[in-house]
Amino acid sequence: MADEAETQGVDRRQFLKVIGVSGAGAAVLSGCTTERVAKLVPYMVQSEDQVPGVPTWYASTCAECSSGCGVYVKTREGRPIKLEGNPDHPTNAGSLCSRGQAGLQSLYNPDRIKGPMARNAKGEFDLIKWDDAIARLAAKLSSAGGKVAAINGYGASTFSTFLADYVTALGGTTVAYEPFGREAERTANDRTWGKAELASYDFGAARHIVSFGADFLETWGPVVEQQRGFAASHGFHDGTMARMVFVGPRMSLTAANADEWLNVPAGSEALVALAMAQVVASRKGSPLAASLASYTPDAVAKDTGLTAAQITALAEAFAAASPSLAIAGGIPAQHRGAIELCQAVNLLNEAAGNIGRTVLFGTTVGGSDGYASMVSLFDKMGQGSVQVVLVHDANPLYAMPKDGKFAAAFAKVPFKVSTAAIIDETAAQCDLILPSLHALERWDDLHTRAGVTGLMQPVVQPVFQGMHFGDVLLKAAKTIAGPVAKFNDASFEARLKSAWQKVAAEQKAGDFDEFWRMALGRGGLFAPMAPAPQFPASKGAVSYTKPTFDGTGDYVFLPYPSSMYHDGRGTNKPWLLENPDPITKITWQSWVEMHPDTAAKIDVREGEIVELHSPHGMIRSQVYIYAGIRPDTMAMPLGLGHTAYGRYAKDRGVNALDLLGAADGQGFLPYVSTRVSVTRTEDYRKVARVDGMPRQLGRGIVQSMALMYAAKGMTPEEAYKAGGRAPVEENTELEQKAIEGWHDAQLENTKVGNYTGDHPKWGMAVDLSRCTGCSACVTACYAENNIPTVGEEQVFRRREMSWLRIERYWEGGEANEPLGVRFAPVMCQHCNNAPCEPVCPVYASYHTVDGLNGQVYNRCVGTRYCSNNCPFKVRYFNWLKYNDVAWPEPLNLQLNPDVTVRARGVMEKCTFCVQRIRAVQNTARIEGRDFKDGEIMTACAQACPSGAISFGNINDPAAKVVQWKKDPRGYVMLEGTNVQSSVTYLAKVLHDAPVAGRGES
Amino acid sequence: MAVIAHDPSLPTQTHAEVTRDVVRTITDKPTTGYYILAGTMAFLVLVLLGTFTAILKYGLGLAGYSPPIMWSVYITTFVFWIGIGHAGTLISAILYLFRSRWRTAVYRSTEAMTVFAVMTAGLFPIIHIGRQWIFYWLIPYPNQRFLWPNFKSPLMWDVFAISTYLTVSSTFLVIGLVPDIAAVRDHVSGWKKKIYSALSLGWTGADSQWRHYSRAYLYLAALATPLVLSVHSVVSWDFAMSIVPGWHGTIFAPYFVAGAIYSGIGMVLTLVIPLRKVLKIEHMITSYHFDNLAKLTLFTGSILFYAYGMEYFIAWYSGSTFEQTTFWRRAFGPNWWAGWSMIICNAFVSQLLWFKKIRRNLTALFVISIFINIGMWFERWVIISMSLTNDYVPYAWGQINPTWADWGILAGSFGWFGLWFTLFYKNFPIVAIQEIKELIPMPRRSHGGGH
Amino acid sequence: MRKRFLIGLGAVLLAGTAIAVGSRVTSAQQPAPPAGTAVTLTRADSVRLEGPRQPIFFRHDVHAGQLKMQCQYCHYSVSYSSEPGIPSMQTCMGCHMYVSGSTPTNKAEIRKLTTAWGKKQPVQWIRIHELARHVHFPHSRHIFALGPDACATCHGNIARMPQVYKVNNVNNMGFCITCHIERKVTRDCSTCHY
Repeated sequence: MADEAETQGVDRRQFLKVIGVSGAGAAVLSGCTTERVAKLVPYMVQSEDQVPGVPTWYASTCAECSSGCGVYVKTREGRPIKLEGNPDHPTNAGSLCSRGQAGLQSLYNPDRIKGPMARNAKGEFDLIKWDDAIARLAAKLSSAGGKVAAINGYGASTFSTFLADYVTALGGTTVAYEPFGREAERTANDRTWGKAELASYDFGAARHIVSFGADFLETWGPVVEQQRGFAASHGFHDGTMARMVFVGPRMSLTAANADEWLNVPAGSEALVALAMAQVVASRKGSPLAASLASYTPDAVAKDTGLTAAQITALAEAFAAASPSLAIAGGIPAQHRGAIELCQAVNLLNEAAGNIGRTVLFGTTVGGSDGYASMVSLFDKMGQGSVQVVLVHDANPLYAMPKDGKFAAAFAKVPFKVSTAAIIDETAAQCDLILPSLHALERWDDLHTRAGVTGLMQPVVQPVFQGMHFGDVLLKAAKTIAGPVAKFNDASFEARLKSAWQKVAAEQKAGDFDEFWRMALGRGGLFAPMAPAPQFPASKGAVSYTKPTFDGTGDYVFLPYPSSMYHDGRGTNKPWLLENPDPITKITWQSWVEMHPDTAAKIDVREGEIVELHSPHGMIRSQVYIYAGIRPDTMAMPLGLGHTAYGRYAKDRGVNALDLLGAADGQGFLPYVSTRVSVTRTEDYRKVARVDGMPRQLGRGIVQSMALMYAAKGMTPEEAYKAGGRAPVEENTELEQKAIEGWHDAQLENTKVGNYTGDHPKWGMAVDLSRCTGCSACVTACYAENNIPTVGEEQVFRRREMSWLRIERYWEGGEANEPLGVRFAPVMCQHCNNAPCEPVCPVYASYHTVDGLNGQVYNRCVGTRYCSNNCPFKVRYFNWLKYNDVAWPEPLNLQLNPDVTVRARGVMEKCTFCVQRIRAVQNTARIEGRDFKDGEIMTACAQACPSGAISFGNINDPAAKVVQWKKDPRGYVMLEGTNVQSSVTYLAKVLHDAPVAGRGES
Repeated sequence: MAVIAHDPSLPTQTHAEVTRDVVRTITDKPTTGYYILAGTMAFLVLVLLGTFTAILKYGLGLAGYSPPIMWSVYITTFVFWIGIGHAGTLISAILYLFRSRWRTAVYRSTEAMTVFAVMTAGLFPIIHIGRQWIFYWLIPYPNQRFLWPNFKSPLMWDVFAISTYLTVSSTFLVIGLVPDIAAVRDHVSGWKKKIYSALSLGWTGADSQWRHYSRAYLYLAALATPLVLSVHSVVSWDFAMSIVPGWHGTIFAPYFVAGAIYSGIGMVLTLVIPLRKVLKIEHMITSYHFDNLAKLTLFTGSILFYAYGMEYFIAWYSGSTFEQTTFWRRAFGPNWWAGWSMIICNAFVSQLLWFKKIRRNLTALFVISIFINIGMWFERWVIISMSLTNDYVPYAWGQINPTWADWGILAGSFGWFGLWFTLFYKNFPIVAIQEIKELIPMPRRSHGGGH
Repeated sequence: MRKRFLIGLGAVLLAGTAIAVGSRVTSAQQPAPPAGTAVTLTRADSVRLEGPRQPIFFRHDVHAGQLKMQCQYCHYSVSYSSEPGIPSMQTCMGCHMYVSGSTPTNKAEIRKLTTAWGKKQPVQWIRIHELARHVHFPHSRHIFALGPDACATCHGNIARMPQVYKVNNVNNMGFCITCHIERKVTRDCSTCHY
C-alpha cells in the first residue's frame, strides 16, 4: 500500500528487527535501514528484562536542569521511547515538565558527535579514537603543572565531588557553574540570617502568595514541585482557594496565573516588599517594625506607581492569611538591587511569621559557585595562568554576555577540553572534545536536597560512541599517575557504588547489594530530611536605593528565561521549539515584546524587525505587541540566538544576552540592568504564532466564575446570571425538541451490531482552576503519539500538528483595565454526536463502541471534510511528508511502536491515547480481570504537574473522572451545538475582589 | 404585395444556406489564430498536469491551505465548473420541452460547454483529496475488506450526482449531434468522410430514423431536466449539511441552482459572442438570441440578489452569534474585498440588464459576462473558504494565501476546458443544423390583396 | 440507506465467507515427506519447496512435527506479548550444543548455526509474515482466546512444513474479518487500527 512506502524509515517493526547482537547499540546503526526484505535478527543471548512488544520501565533521574526530578524510562526492545515522572520522587511525584520529557531528544539528537574529536592544524575537528583522546588529555594534564581549571555545570553529585577532588589533586581549581545560579538569594539569606543557602518553599501550604519577579512556574527553582504545590493551594477546593499576587514589570506565565499583577517598574519591587514588611511588622508588632519605619506605603508609593492604599491593602491581606509566602529572585527581577530585594522579602516573610512554615531552610544542597567566580576564572585565563581548562556540562561562552570578551580570554588557554555531546559555542572553541554520555546512558547520581539523591543507570547502549567523563578521568589517571594515582577505581560505576557504600552506611542499611538494588529500582535515595527549626531573628535593617541601569535608552530591557529553552540548553530540541511559548504562543522564533502604547508611539506593527541598541551591543528582532508589559519596558526571551549547538538551535533567533554588560561586582549577572533605544528597520518577518483570534468574543470557551459563587456550588451559568450579566444564547424550544429526538435516536443506535452490550465509555475532565498553561501535556502528547514537528515555515501556515493545544485567551487589558489570561488544554472532545463522523465518505472517522471518536488513518483518503465540520478544529492534516523530515536519524528511534506513524495526506487527531487503553485492556483480559480506575491514563493526564486532567471510564460510578464531572463548575465547550462532547471543563475560579485593585473579579 | 413581418426567432436563410454556413465552419482551413488559441489551451493543460504531478509527489501542502481553511481554491473551482455546467442542460433540455424557439441557435454550443465543464469539474474531487491514489475508495464496490463507503456523507452523493450528470448530458449531446454529423459527412471527403460516417452511426435521414430520433431526444430531454435542479442541489448540500456558520443554510439548494444557471449563461455569453464572429454565423445567432439569454441572466441574477440579502437577514434573525460573526466579517472583516466583489459582480451588475439597450449591445453583454464569471468564482470562494476562516473556536481562526499550486490548477482547468471546446467547435457543427432547418418557414405564395 | 447497506454487506459477507472457507480447505499443506526420507532431504530438494530460502535450512517439520516441540518453546513471548518473539541464538544452542545432526545435510546446516554462534553473529532469518504497519495484532490475545495450538489458524500447519511459507495473506483484512465474524467478536476498527 502506498502509505507503507510513505512511512518508510519509521517502521514499527524495525524495533523487532534490530534487537540485535549488541542490543540497542547496534540497533541504532541498523535502526533505520530501508531494505525491503525485512529481516528477523534474534538476540544472541536473551536478556530477561526485555520482552519484544512489552515495554520495560527503568527508574532514573532527569538531568535537564538542576531540579533533578525522578523519571521512569519506558523502553521498548532496548530503547527509551518515553520519559514519565517517578511517583515516588519527592520533587516531582510522578509528573514531568516539557524540558524533562524532551530529554529524549537530547539522547537521540541527530547532532550528537560520533566520537571524540580533536582540532587539527587547519583548525578543523577530526574524529579520533578514544585511547588517543585520553592519551592526549593525560599528556596535557600532566604537563600543565597544576595550571588546570574545570568548569562544571553538573549539580551536586558523586561525579562533581570526584571532578573537584581530581582537579584539586592536579593543583587546579573547579568552578561549579549554573547560568541561573540564584546567587542573589543566597547572598541575601547570608546577610539576613548569616546562612548562605537557599530556602525551599511550601507553596501547598501558603494561603497568600506574593511573588516579586520570581517565575516559580517557569524556570525559578524546582518548578514541577512548585507547580504541584501552587495547584494544591491556589486550585479551587472545598469552597476556597489561596490568593496570589505578582509584582514585576512583565506578566510572565507565573504572573498570568496570579490573581493580581502589579506592574511596578523594574527595580522598585523591593520598595513594595519593604513597605509591605513595614505594614505587616507594625500590625503584628514584630521587632522589625522599627528598622523598617522609613518604608511606609506613602513613602514608596511614588516610586512604585502604586497608591499607598493598594500597598496597605495588599500587606494587610498578606498579614491576615496564615501562613502566607513571599518569594523573590529569578531572572526577571535580577537587577542590581536583587540582593536587597531578596533581603526585603526575607524581612517580609519573617514579619509575617512564615519562616519554618512556608519558608524552609536546611533542605537545599550544593548550588553553584556563582557568576563572580566564573568571571575571576576567565580573568585568570586572560592572564594566561591557565594551561588546561575542562568544560563539563556547561556552555559559558553562550550563557555569558559577549560584552565580557570571555571568548578572547578563553582562547588564551593553550589546551581547552569540552565534554559536550553536541558541539556548542564553548566546545567549538576547544581543542579536544570528549563527548560525554546522556543521563540515560550512564551511571551517575544527582544530589538535589538533603536526603534525596537520584540515581541514573544506563537504560540504553550509548547511541553514539560517547564515554562518561568520569571514566575518561579515571583512565587518564592511570597514565598521569602522580597526584591522581589515588583515583584508581576500575570504572566510574565502581566509584559510584563505593560512594553509595557510605550512603548505605548512613541509612543503616544491612546488606549493601540489597540496598543498591532497591535504590536502583526506586530511582535513588528518597529520605528527605525535615527542615531546620525556625531561624534566629534576622539582623533586620536593609537600606534600599533603586538600582542603576546602563545606557540612556528610553526603555528598560528585560530578558527573561523561556519556560521551554531555559538557559538555552533546550533550544536544540524540536519538541521545545514547536511547543509554543505559553504566553505569546510563538514558536521557533525570538521576539521583542512591547506594550501597545509603545508600539503606537514608535509606530511599529507586529512582525516589524526593530533594532535594540544598548551600550553593550545591538540586536535585531521582530516585534510582538503585548499588553502584559509596562510601556517603559521591553522584554525578550533568553535561550535563542545560538551560533552553534546543532541544526535546530544554530542561527535561530537572537541572543538577548548580547545587550547586557558583563560588569558585575555583586556576585551575579544583573540581567535587568540595561536601557535600550529602538530604531525601526521597516522590514518584516511573519511571527510564527499559533493563536488565531486571542479573544473569546463571549463564546464561553474558557469559562470562569467568582469564588463566592463557586463556593455556593453554583454552575458557571448560574454564576454568570448571578453576576448580573445577561443570560448567554441558549437553544430555542424547537432546537431542544430536536436534541431530545436525537437522544432517542441514539438509544436505537446502541442496539445495533458492535454497539450492543456493555462497553466502557471513555471521558475526561479538566480542572481549569488548576491548569497553569505550562504545556507539559503538549510535549507528552508529542512524545506518546509520534506527532511530527513541522518547523517554522509550516507554522506560518498554521499547520502545526499538536493534537493537544493550550488555548490562551486575553480578558480585558484594554485602556486601563487589568489584563486577564485564560488557559485551557483543548484536545479532541470525542463528541458523542460528532459532526466529523457522518461527513466522512469512507468511515475513516467513526464512533467506536467505547465512545471514542475513532480515526482510522489507513482508511482516510483525505477529503478533510471532517476538519471543516469540527467545531473545535482539533483535527490535523499531514500536508506534506512530515513523517519523513520530522525525525532525522536517530530521532526516529524515539517513536512509539504502538502508534502508527501517519502518512502524508491523512487526517489525524487525539485518540484519548487509544493505544494505552488497548494495552491495558489486553493485559486485563489475559489476566482475566477488569481494568482498574486510574490504570488507564492518557499521556497528558499523566504528565500534568498540576494534576488538572483526569481520565477514565464514565460508566464506572466510582471513577475519579465521574466525580469530577459531577462538580457544579463543570461545563462543556460549545454546548449549544449539541455535539455532546466527552470532555468536561471545570470553570476557572477568580477571587471575588482584587485586594490591590489590579486583578479581575 | 403584403409585407410579411419577419419573426426574429425564425432563421432567414434557406435549407441549403444553413447547411453550407455551418459546414463551412468545419471545412474551412483553421486560421493561425485558431492554432494560437488551441496551443495556449494545450499549454495550460500541461501546467495542470505539471502541478498535479508535483502535488502527487510532495503532497497537498504545496497549495496554500492553512488550517482551519481545509477547502480552498480547488473546491471553489470545482463548484465553479459544476455551476457552469448547468446552463447547457437548462437551455437544451428544459427550453426544448418548453418549445422555445430561440434556444435552437445556441443550444449546441451551450451543451458542449456543459459536457466539458462537467468533465473539468470531475477532475477536482480527485485532485483535492489527500491520497489521490485511493480515490476509488469513494466508489461502492464489493471488496475483500468488507468495507463500504458512507452513504450518509454528502461527498458520496456528490460522486453519484456528478457521474450521473456527466453520463446523461454527454449522451444528450451525442444524440443531438448524429444528424448534423451526417450532414457534415455528406460535405467532406477522404479520411474525414470515413470518420464522420463512423460517428454518424449510419444516419440516412430515413423517416423511421427521424421518428425514433425525435422520440429518443424528447425522452433524454425529460430525463436531463430534473438533473439540472438535482445536481447542484446535491453540490450545495456538501456545505449545507455541515454545521459551519455560513455553510449551514436551508436556502442553499435553490440559491446554488440559480447561481449555477447564472454563471452558466455568463460563460455561454463569454464563449458565443466571440464565436459567432470567428465562425461568421452572426446571421444565425442574432442579437435576438442574446436578448433572451440576457433576460434569463437578469432573472437568475435577481434570484441571487435575493439570496444574498436573505443570507444576511437569516444571520441576523437566527440570533446565532456564530452566524452573525461570520456574515459581519464577510462584509467588514479582513476579507471584505472578496465579499464585496461577489455582491457587486453578481447582484448589482446583473441589474444593468433591465435596459434593452444593454441587452442588445454585444460588447456590453460580453463585459458583463466577464464580470459574472469572476463574480461567481468569488461567490464560491467567499462561501467556502471565507466561511472557514472564522467558525466556532476563535483561537483556531486563520487566514489563507493561495500559492502557485492553487493558481496552476485553476489556470490548468481553464486550459483543459478550453482545449476540448476549441477542438469541438472546429470539428463539429456548433449550430444545430437540422433544428434550424425545422424552423425555416415553408415558402408560400401570396395573393394580391391578401385574404 | 442502512437497509441497502445491510443487504449489500450481507451479500458480500456470504461471498467472502465462502471464499475464505474455501481457501482454508484448498490451502493444502505440502505433503509431509515420509519420516524415513525426511531427514535425508537434500538442499536440492528444498529448492522445490515454497517460501523463501532461509540462511539456515531450519526444519519446522522436524522440530515442531517429528520432535513435537511446542511453538512457545522458541516463540517464547507469544502468549503474553503482542510480538511472538524469535528464539535467541542461545535457545538454539541449548540443544545444538549436543545435537549435531545425523546426516551430512543436517550436520552442514547445524554447523552454520554453531559457526554463527562462535562468531557471535546472529542468523538473519527472512521474515515471512509481515503485518502492515497500521495494523496492531496482539498475538497474546489470540493465543488466549484460541488456545496455544491456534498458530495454525493463520500460519497454516507449520508442523508439516519443511520450509515455512505464507499460507494466508495476513495483510488481507478480509482474512481477519471473516474470522472475527465467524467467532462473533468485535469488528470495531480501533481494535486493530490506531
